Amino acid sequence: MNDTGCLHLSNFKAAKGSSPYKIVHAFFVASTSYEARRYKATSCLCFSCGQPGPRLHSCLHCIYFACYGGHIQEHSKNKKHFLYVDLSYGNVFCAQCQDYIYDRELTDISRSNRVLEAKSLGISVPYTPWLPNGNEVMALKRLRKRRLISPHTTIGLRGLQNLGSTCFMNCIVQTLIHTPLLRDYFLGERHKCKTQGSGKCLVCEVSKLFQEFYSGAKTPLTLHRLLHLIWTHARHLAGYEQQDAHEFFIATLDVLHRHCMNGVEETEKKEKDRCNCIIDQIFTGGLQSDVVCTSCSGVSTTIDPFWDISLDVAGPGSLQACLERFTRAEHLGSAAKIKCSNCRAYRESTKQLTLETLPIVASFHLKRFEHSSQIDRKISAFVSFPAELDMTPFMSTHRRAVDAADNNNDPEGLFEDNRYSLFAVVNHLGSLDAGHYTAYVRQMKGSWFKCDDHMITRASLREVLDSEGYLLFYHKTVLEYECDVP
Amino acid sequence: MTVNNTIAHQRLILSGDRERFKELLRRRLIECGWRDQIRMVCREIVKEHDSNSITLDMLVARVTPRARALVPDPVKKELLQKIKTHLLTQKNL
Ligand SMILES: [Zn+2]
Ligand SMILES: [Zn+2]
Ligand SMILES: [Zn+2]
Ligand SMILES: [Zn+2]
Ligand SMILES: [Zn+2]
Ligand SMILES: [Zn+2]
Repeated sequence: MNDTGCLHLSNFKAAKGSSPYKIVHAFFVASTSYEARRYKATSCLCFSCGQPGPRLHSCLHCIYFACYGGHIQEHSKNKKHFLYVDLSYGNVFCAQCQDYIYDRELTDISRSNRVLEAKSLGISVPYTPWLPNGNEVMALKRLRKRRLISPHTTIGLRGLQNLGSTCFMNCIVQTLIHTPLLRDYFLGERHKCKTQGSGKCLVCEVSKLFQEFYSGAKTPLTLHRLLHLIWTHARHLAGYEQQDAHEFFIATLDVLHRHCMNGVEETEKKEKDRCNCIIDQIFTGGLQSDVVCTSCSGVSTTIDPFWDISLDVAGPGSLQACLERFTRAEHLGSAAKIKCSNCRAYRESTKQLTLETLPIVASFHLKRFEHSSQIDRKISAFVSFPAELDMTPFMSTHRRAVDAADNNNDPEGLFEDNRYSLFAVVNHLGSLDAGHYTAYVRQMKGSWFKCDDHMITRASLREVLDSEGYLLFYHKTVLEYECDVP
Repeated sequence: MTVNNTIAHQRLILSGDRERFKELLRRRLIECGWRDQIRMVCREIVKEHDSNSITLDMLVARVTPRARALVPDPVKKELLQKIKTHLLTQKNL
């Protein structure tokens, strides 16, 4: 099969162009507006038998609607109208070829109408898999070497040398390397650098690192240069001193985001003052804070971006319980009065944090280290965490509905998908001053490995879930796509 | 189709919810591996024939019974449940 249509379609297009298809498609296949949906809702019935199916088609010559149960064929034969469109999928049937035919121009029309339809409905654009273009087909023919991914592959797994208590860095590097969307970005060579080859761009360094991890080599890597760069930048920028995996994680995101921002990345664009670099696309969520005045019930709402959520571990016992407590309304008491703009006076208030937007990667930091002027200590309390996590209960929209106790008129919620899957866990072993970090990473679905500096060993999901947990990384289970309308 | 059914159907199209449900179903079928399974079934059938002798109608006729049977029960249940809930809340309006 090819996508160049058939002689009959070519003749039709030569006479009437592609606009008959375009119009039928925009109204009755993928309705691109409310008006189109109204036409579709009221007129999609077979003109011959009055039924909505089976498989309603429209004649491309005269827009006669008829079912595929015989009536469209009948119409086609009687009128000698040989081309008709399937109204469910938009494919064109040629009665002279006696099969559906595929034409690149019509396929492109169909695709852009689907995008417009999704926009009109406020839903995510249907995912279309990668189709190689002419150049890519040539390249695939030229380069015969293929790397097949088998269920037992060790691709992407490489140990990292410990360069003298650098395990806290190694863990974060392993986590980033196994972050699905970040991996796709770098292996897809999406970083277009302006400073090509200057050796100063950290994003380029990370890009090289991904290549090394996925090169197929198995010997442990040494990260001198990269770690040195990140660490000096971070210390320089924020004065980090602790050898803490969490601080290093945040510092790394910050350094990478800055390198993207400094005009190094060409494709980067800003949307409503929000940075749209790859780091922010993947890791940034929005934390909503609602402060309610107890006198006048006035609400003041602010939304701040976040890269991770730090959770208290004393008490709860599970990640969900920690999150429940994190998003619970808290009375601020008389000692912490806040100026109410409505009352124009200092009032007692309640404060509630909820998640306004979710990032693609949700990172949780269990606050196991307590630093105070008297004592530094580690809290080894058990906190269970799930392999699959639904974030819906902690979202602003959901919390509001629950608090207002009318949870049932939430039509959006039916189609919302806030499920996350665990893909990395960083653990701190031992005491505060003589500790060691290791990481569990998910290499493929259901395939877990423990990264202990230069040593990589297979692990079971049970082992991962039974570990203490210091940093927990979840990836959105189902991705939603946005697409610019051409 | 009765008059009531037709009206419900028209309302689903008009509100866009029919497309939303379709998209949800599509996603679930991809997630559970159904689509990949069906793709393999289709490939086998196409391979059985000479390259150009099979039409889409033949393929649909042969694949449909198996494809329907392979849809996992949890997917059917979820969709049924969601559509029911949705139609009930619509009625109250
Ligand atoms: Zn006609
Ligand atoms: Zn009919
Ligand atoms: Zn033809
Ligand atoms: Zn660069
Ligand atoms: Zn950024
Ligand atoms: Zn007030």
